[in-house]
Amino acid sequence: MTDRPSRVAATEAQRDARGIAPLRPEAIAAVATFVLSVVLILASRFVSPALGSWDQAATVVVLASFLIVVAFGQGLVILIGGLDLSVASLVTLGAVLATTWIGSSNDGAIYLLPAILIVCGLIGAASGIGVTLLGVPPFIMTMATGIIVGSVALGYTSGTPRGGAPGILIALMKDDWAGVQILIVFVVLFAVLAAILQGSTSFGRKLYAIGASARAAHVAGVSVTRMTILAYAMSAVSAGLAGLMLAGYSDGATLRMGDSYLLPSIAAVVVGGSSILGGTGSFAATVGGAVLLTTLGTVIAALGIGEGWRTVIEGSIILIALLLLRESTFAGLKRLLGR
Amino acid sequence: MSADVTALASRPADPPASAARRPRWGRRLANGAGIVTLLYLILYALYGLWDRGAFSAYAFTNLVNNAAPLAIAAAGETLVVLSRGFDLSVAGVMSLTNVVMATYPMEGPQGALLSLLMCMAIGGVVGCVNGAAVAYLRLQSIAATLGTMIICRGLSLVILDAPGGTVTDFVSNTLTDQLFGVIPVSGLIVAALAGLWGLVRRTDFGVALYTVGTDETAAALSGVSVARTRFLAFVGAGLVYGVAGFMLTAQTATGNPNGGNPFLMLTFAAVALGGTSLSGGRGGMIGSIVGAATLMLLQKVLFSGGVSSFYTGIFQGVVLVVAIVFSRALSRLLDGRRR
Repeated sequence: MTDRPSRVAATEAQRDARGIAPLRPEAIAAVATFVLSVVLILASRFVSPALGSWDQAATVVVLASFLIVVAFGQGLVILIGGLDLSVASLVTLGAVLATTWIGSSNDGAIYLLPAILIVCGLIGAASGIGVTLLGVPPFIMTMATGIIVGSVALGYTSGTPRGGAPGILIALMKDDWAGVQILIVFVVLFAVLAAILQGSTSFGRKLYAIGASARAAHVAGVSVTRMTILAYAMSAVSAGLAGLMLAGYSDGATLRMGDSYLLPSIAAVVVGGSSILGGTGSFAATVGGAVLLTTLGTVIAALGIGEGWRTVIEGSIILIALLLLRESTFAGLKRLLGR
Repeated sequence: MSADVTALASRPADPPASAARRPRWGRRLANGAGIVTLLYLILYALYGLWDRGAFSAYAFTNLVNNAAPLAIAAAGETLVVLSRGFDLSVAGVMSLTNVVMATYPMEGPQGALLSLLMCMAIGGVVGCVNGAAVAYLRLQSIAATLGTMIICRGLSLVILDAPGGTVTDFVSNTLTDQLFGVIPVSGLIVAALAGLWGLVRRTDFGVALYTVGTDETAAALSGVSVARTRFLAFVGAGLVYGVAGFMLTAQTATGNPNGGNPFLMLTFAAVALGGTSLSGGRGGMIGSIVGAATLMLLQKVLFSGGVSSFYTGIFQGVVLVVAIVFSRALSRLLDGRRR
């Protein structure tokens, strides 16, 4: 793991940088990822005339919605210098509980849906307690939680989840409201609220403080233990919510449902320019990262090439994005803009 | 008062006589491979209790064969983890080498040797890319190796898009056989790796590895080339993953483009279980090897103990957390006693 670019930050700080807040790396990363996504969608018209339309953009948002929700929680945990490897199992758990507890009817959905999210939150809190009070490294603690939850979901469903998704979830994922998909409204609302929660509330600022230095945050009066447990709980709730959405989207659950969201959720956060060591980044940039990765996925899928090369391209994109979104690139950009 | 001063002054020079001797074996027990070895022996006893054939050379060879790929992969990962990094490419390299071997089988012992060299070359190249990205381009190790892992996964699918291929008899039979009817060949290969590590950790590189992982700035100040050490750690790890892929092929006797995927999480679990600190600077390969063996033995024990395969994950997760909490508590206890 490379060291935190503290020396760069220190020299930057000697100059008075307060007046140029809009040029923060996070802001550039967020804008850059969105611009890249739009350019990609427009450029994909050359690949196939069917692409590059407003419809395709809407499809990208729908497909990205799950990743955005998971990446929010993952981003909070990464922000405090942790990592949540249990999100895959919790996505699956959310979907499995939705189909087994509620099923195709809407009976009791009003209190069972929140109950599912609370269960997920408690599991996340357990991870947080393991990390803080027991001192288990986050990597191991969340991996263990993930293995345990996955195993419970497997045993609970005897290997094959049955039943459809509650109507209310299907409506959320599929229905229109005055010509606009409800899901798109929901995702935009979620993103705005989440960005405010992470960026502008005392909850979010405390997480930034912990990520920058847990000791300094403690000295400054932040309850590090409680905030850390909360962050892991939030991550689990986000993953559970994504599971509910997935259940509604595919009208059912599978045990491998969450697997394809673990690594992308980390990738979305990192491509959005956050440091994996915590303390930096913004949720807007993470949303940009998630949208960019999903756009790439759909465009590459439309190229009509085999899964192998498609995967190779996806991996290369991550490396290229990392190279382009490096701190030094931003430093160079700033110098170029003559500050 | 003067007595206090002399006591204070003499303390740093004093330890060799009384203070250091007892804690030294105690610390070794707590930090390194000690606890996990103990756990292994306890599990083996349980296994013997439930399965009469557990102590036969055949059963032992089976255990060693099962554990060898994971043990070697974890040994390689240890190099990177010690230097304070994460290397996710382990799963990709194992898949890639596995499908390359199954697609281009080479007969006889010479062919096997050539295959081994080829596997190590592949791992070495991937390691060079990782090392360059992390050490010189200063990308975050989790993110950069996530990219290379996905690329390797894609290349594996390009080479072999479905499980299949052929593995030569020499590789699949001789390498999983016993020498003189007692000693498992795969165990010898793991032992050779452990022996090599014993030499390497005494070289300048070995010392630098621990120094960089403990405190990068201090290492740089004392003349250690941090970037070079990191680079070499990734290259070394890549070479070892190549061997792990080779042994995976020997054990499964088939090619599978997704064959390496299950090893991603297990490798880190084995490293952590073996007492290596995931934040770098502490631990070693031997612990990781025994950690890997313990994880594989645990599955066997649970199976022979009649636990439904649905629920083995619960035990794996709990054992992982308990072992790490226990070893932390014990090492803190011993540290406290020394003070």
